[in-house]
Amino acid sequence: MSSVASKGLGGTAAKSEARGLSYYLQDLKWLILSVVGMTAFYSFVIWYQRSFGHLYGMDSHSPEFDQYWMKWLNTELILEPVLAVIVWSAVWFTRPRNEVASAVAPRVEIRRYFTFVMWLVIYTYAVYWGASFFAEQDGAWHQVVTRDTSFTPSHIMIFYLSFPVYVIIGVASVIYAMTRLPMYRENGVSIAHILAIVGPFMILPNIGLNEWGHAFWFMEELFSAPLHWGFVVLGWTGLALGGVAMQIVQRVNMLLPQVSD
Amino acid sequence: MTTTTTAQAEVAAAGTTYVPLSPGAERIGRALDWVIVAATVLVLTGAFHLHFMLTAGDWDFWLDWKDREYWIVLSPVMAITFCGAVHYILWQHFRLPFGATLCVTLLVVAEWIVRYVGWHGWSHYPINLLTPAYFYPGALALDAILLLSGSWVVAGILGGSLFGFLFFPGNWAWLAAYHVPVEVNGIVMTLADYIGYENIRTGTPEYIRIIERGTLRTFGQHSAPVSAAFAAFLCTLVYWMWWFIGKWFSNVKYITSKGL
Repeated sequence: MSSVASKGLGGTAAKSEARGLSYYLQDLKWLILSVVGMTAFYSFVIWYQRSFGHLYGMDSHSPEFDQYWMKWLNTELILEPVLAVIVWSAVWFTRPRNEVASAVAPRVEIRRYFTFVMWLVIYTYAVYWGASFFAEQDGAWHQVVTRDTSFTPSHIMIFYLSFPVYVIIGVASVIYAMTRLPMYRENGVSIAHILAIVGPFMILPNIGLNEWGHAFWFMEELFSAPLHWGFVVLGWTGLALGGVAMQIVQRVNMLLPQVSD
Repeated sequence: MTTTTTAQAEVAAAGTTYVPLSPGAERIGRALDWVIVAATVLVLTGAFHLHFMLTAGDWDFWLDWKDREYWIVLSPVMAITFCGAVHYILWQHFRLPFGATLCVTLLVVAEWIVRYVGWHGWSHYPINLLTPAYFYPGALALDAILLLSGSWVVAGILGGSLFGFLFFPGNWAWLAAYHVPVEVNGIVMTLADYIGYENIRTGTPEYIRIIERGTLRTFGQHSAPVSAAFAAFLCTLVYWMWWFIGKWFSNVKYITSKGL
């Protein structure tokens, strides 16, 4: 069998294959690390909410609220842009240079599709935490505490933590696709991919409507209220990953006959 | 005996040559399938759960909101949305007929996680007050009819109707026990109402509890079946609409960067 490096995969892939891991799964360790890390981090967040939510999070005018919750929020608002710049820069500056899209070897291209879908797995896992777990858990908080601030112990974790996290990962997946995948470099911008990233991203600014409405109209928490339907419509765009899956499957089906392993 | 796979037969019918993949290439394809499945499961869980909690969630959160008027209509109508869209994507592109069952399974798993960890674990509501509704009978019927008919029109009429009709009887087995009457301080109410009254919900005071309004209680004992019939009608229409929403979202078109 010819060496992997000779087909353009580079030294890292060759080392992975030497360890018994197929070349297309060389980034699996990063996927597992990301999922485990995110699970551990959000488990810590849940523990923090349980420990200090009802204890110091009931009165936004108290000094304890400032210490335990506003400091957390301010830290998020500083670290998240920094994290975004680091992640997006890392994906951008490690892009292949002087590469002709049509000349990328099939094995290299296949490996990139695996990496791309792994980006999407991390993205959708982050979406799960924000759109499913923390979103519904927000109702659990509002059912027992009448809000006196937009920055509740629940909102600080869902709106200003879990949402920015998936936005950072989602945009990184777009940069990866646009700089590595010949399919996107040759054809242009995938409508489905942009929808699947921009739609959930727009949930972040939609928080403005939500908070304005709660401050203006009512402080109860009727989840089905029209005020929340902006989140709903933007969440539908997650379905566009079906289109991304179709594009990947179509392209990989063209590549598979060109490789033997 | 000559054996041909469906794929081979379809390729032959199209007048093209069937090229079998090497075992290594097949392994790559199967491995990629699993990674795509992981992303699909996660995004469906997040998007469908968000959609459902913010359109029919209040009736799903609470035992005493599971009434004969709104819950029976809203829940299946809001749930068949993603079932229709995912049916398009999985059936049209991959000939997989289990889109509805997949959707409602992911929904109920996501709901149970947050009901136990979030609602029960953080706000300490009893778990029987928080039990989510189930859609399995209707979802299985919808999937089966799509599989047998291969038609989104038939699936919408028969499967969509069954999705709506079967929602209430599908939940009655576990819900009936909470609808027995109890007398509390001289007032007759259901056990579900009593559990609801005993657990104060600051965010959902009684004046925004949207159940059994209007003249429903003068209509005797057939309120629930009438609501189920209305749900069946709406489910057909919503299924068709969301079939095309699924088609639109799963497009494989591109635009140039200048188009942005």
